[in-house]
Amino acid sequence: MARRTRWLRHATVATSLALGAVVWEVAGHLTTGAFWAPLSATLGSAAELARGGVLLQQGASSLRLYVTGLLLAIAVGAPLGLLLARLPRLRVAFEDYIMMLYATPMVALIPFILSLLGFGFTPKALVVFLFAVFPVLYNTVEGARSIRPELVEVARAFRSNEWELWRDVMIPYTLPFTMTGIRQAIARGLVGMVAAEFFLSPSGLGQMIMMGSQNFDTAGMLAAILVIVLIGVALMDFGRYLENRFAAWRGYTR
Amino acid sequence: MLTSDARIEVSGAGRRFGALEVFRDVNLAVGEREVLAIIGPSGCGKTTLLRCMHGLIPLSGGEIVIEGSRVAGPREGVAMVFQHFGLFPWKTVFHNVAYGLKLAGATQAEIRDKVPRFISLVGLAGFENYYPYQISGGMQQRCGLARALSVEPRVLLMDEPFGAVDAQTREILQFELLRIWEMRPTTMVFVTHSIEEAVLMGDRIVVLKGRPATVHEIVTVDLPRPRTRATLATPRFAGLREHVWNTLMADARRAELEIVR
Repeated sequence: MARRTRWLRHATVATSLALGAVVWEVAGHLTTGAFWAPLSATLGSAAELARGGVLLQQGASSLRLYVTGLLLAIAVGAPLGLLLARLPRLRVAFEDYIMMLYATPMVALIPFILSLLGFGFTPKALVVFLFAVFPVLYNTVEGARSIRPELVEVARAFRSNEWELWRDVMIPYTLPFTMTGIRQAIARGLVGMVAAEFFLSPSGLGQMIMMGSQNFDTAGMLAAILVIVLIGVALMDFGRYLENRFAAWRGYTR
Repeated sequence: MLTSDARIEVSGAGRRFGALEVFRDVNLAVGEREVLAIIGPSGCGKTTLLRCMHGLIPLSGGEIVIEGSRVAGPREGVAMVFQHFGLFPWKTVFHNVAYGLKLAGATQAEIRDKVPRFISLVGLAGFENYYPYQISGGMQQRCGLARALSVEPRVLLMDEPFGAVDAQTREILQFELLRIWEMRPTTMVFVTHSIEEAVLMGDRIVVLKGRPATVHEIVTVDLPRPRTRATLATPRFAGLREHVWNTLMADARRAELEIVR
């Protein structure tokens, strides 16, 4: 029964994707090339770009930017979140800034970053970082704050010192919450990557989209977008996998 | 009092939280391998007193001395079993039991040797790799007990250990604990709100009462050990239970009658 349901599910997904591809293809043939390109042309363009090495080169440039910003966001967001959860005074002092920045559309800060740091890799990585850090920070703080006080009491009863309390209780308890934050950061960081490549010095896949658009090379533009979509989907899946893996003890998986 | 060989001496102990005085002037001594049951109505501060004995909460007045030195914080040789079990949900049974040993500085070899022994002592053999959410409440508390026992404490503090499990499980665990105690007798302070449990477990029963709570009476339980299910059927058990019931309930009944009137 379960196997049959799963088979039905896969069939539905496959049908849906196939239908989407057909709609894409037909829409491409029915409109002018400047507006929309058929799937076949898009894939052809992607294959050509891949053969020429452009796709790999630009993709690698984008990924380098993205991974740098994302890792930085995790490296700063998670420890800072734990620290803020453990030191209430510090949290109260910073809480409002964090909320303000979390609520701010980060795109609005890009001109400011441009005038502050100019072009180059660093300001772009900073943009990705800013897009990605707040979900990590916010979820970590909320997670660490929700720790059951009785678990902290158990740690004290067994004569845990502060470092052991972090190692054995705070960090493992908070990890699934941080993972939720990281999963959100993965998506937001990708937005940050494209925004940085658009609005700061054009580079990577963002530059390919811009150039495709300016040269009326719709197929090339869609090819770059398709690659970003695929990267995003793969990373989201990876994020969900990580989250489930670290949340197994919660007694459920999502 | 058994001052000479007392493991725990509580003298003039009091604790207040702001304006609320929980208990005052509590004087107790718990001897070597003695089981002291503490009973009292909800909110009388028996759990707070136990936490003070462990050094998790400081006293507001008086002092508690364990093995000759004043309690200032949790120490080696004293372990606690919690009503809420306090298991780490991300750790398996094995690693939950190993937790105390690890913090006590045990080597990996010691942990590999000791943990399985204590897991089978509490009847959890075969469940080493289960997570707390995969086992019943009774099994979780067996795990909590194994964790406390594995550090081989000389003083065991039990905070209503069976208060969060169902009635049948509770009965099973009571006799399990008696069996384990016979194998490894230690000084034990057992906080409970069950009169039967206090009589079954204790060598003496401290009745806390009043607001703020004070030691109302100390009842000596002269039931022979080992105690088993048969103990429950003896007239002496029934007599002691009645006695503690009357001590504990006299005020409660009077208060109720006053409301009726």
